[in-house]
Amino acid sequence: MHISDGVLSFGVVVIGWVIALSISAFILWRCKSQYDLAESIPKISIMTAAFFVASLVHVSIGPTSVHLLLNGLLGVVLGIMAFPAMLVGLTLQSFLFQHGGITTIGINNVMMGIPAILAYWIFRFGYRKGFSPAFLGALCGALGILLSGIFLALFLISTGEEFLEVAYAAALVHVPIMIIEGIITGSVVTFLLKVRPELLPFDMEV
Amino acid sequence: MEYPEIDAFASLDSFIHRLDPRAKIVSFTVLIFSFAFVNDIKIALLILMFSALVLVSSRIPLTFAVKRIRLVFFFLFPLLIIMPVTVDGNEFVSISGISLSIEGLLYSSLIVIRAMAAVTLALIMLATTRFDVTMKALYALGVPGILVQMLMFTYRYIFVISDEFSRMWKAMECKGFRLKANYYGLSILGNTLGMLIIKSYDRTSRVYQSMLSKGYGGRPVTMIQFKMSAKDYVLSICMTLIAIFVHTYQLVLL
Repeated sequence: MHISDGVLSFGVVVIGWVIALSISAFILWRCKSQYDLAESIPKISIMTAAFFVASLVHVSIGPTSVHLLLNGLLGVVLGIMAFPAMLVGLTLQSFLFQHGGITTIGINNVMMGIPAILAYWIFRFGYRKGFSPAFLGALCGALGILLSGIFLALFLISTGEEFLEVAYAAALVHVPIMIIEGIITGSVVTFLLKVRPELLPFDMEV
Repeated sequence: MEYPEIDAFASLDSFIHRLDPRAKIVSFTVLIFSFAFVNDIKIALLILMFSALVLVSSRIPLTFAVKRIRLVFFFLFPLLIIMPVTVDGNEFVSISGISLSIEGLLYSSLIVIRAMAAVTLALIMLATTRFDVTMKALYALGVPGILVQMLMFTYRYIFVISDEFSRMWKAMECKGFRLKANYYGLSILGNTLGMLIIKSYDRTSRVYQSMLSKGYGGRPVTMIQFKMSAKDYVLSICMTLIAIFVHTYQLVLL
């Protein structure tokens, strides 16, 4: 699910870095003007670590096993801070496990971070309209993976015509993960609403 | 759950271990970016050999390195099967009606080889320095303090929270839970992750208060002094020249 070094062309990689760093800088700058940064750094970091550990869980389906991405859930819980949190998480993932390369941290961040922000917006909008949180959570979890799969296919195709079939295959792989993450995110969101509702950032501006 | 100990062998001694961390990060990053975009398979083989040579001279145990590089190979292995079938080109062998093209094979092996070379270098860069020193070197190189701090805190809490999670997991397994990909298993897993998130959230306020009482104000403080020697300059200039050479060798040799 992460793109590793050497797959994409130089242009795509550079565009990925530019988009990822400018969105992160914008979000951090905005956060700086609204809250005390000294307080949010440790909070966001510990939550990022929690998601990092959660994404190491492997679910076995048939002969293979998939690990969770949880980008929809990250968006629902952290709000727009999910994007810089994802940058930190992906950097550590490539530093500590060599999952995804160093050159492709930027493009991976775009691929997983933008769906996370969209999931957050959809969840907040739907919650205010009075949809059931379990349904919304499942929708956002599935949507996070679906959009990541589409982004992955687009990046592969934009690198070269040779990748067309590989891109279809890579996008198809996301379908079972989408179902799994939908169920998990739905159950996490219901659980959080029952146990600790203030953890979900509904009343935040942006 | 295994700890992600990338710097387990940072205390060994070799000329790469002794290289100044800032010089190491800059020159290895330049090399990685250059190697990841090589377009010629012969050059790709050469850079893979170069990376292997650096790996051997860094004296990192090979089993440790191979275990991590192997992952990238398995991840990219499907390309080697799919691309010869799907990319059009000269057919070199045909198995029961499916023709395999030489272009597809060459292109997919180019991708796998340059990816492995880049990952080997990244592994050497990170495995020969203590992780906190790498982070401090990043700060010294001008990476924004907020990102470096988030990296350091997250790194530290990955260990704490994976301990927490394995305790919870052990307790669940004691009660007979086995994770299967059905609705029941996944919704229980969801509740567990929800509990992990709540525990971590509660921890954040405790950690923040204790940091505050020790005088934390949002700025990173480092006590390490880096010093560049002549050897560091020579090595990093050599590595940068190699990085440039693999892309301009045609101009140089003609």
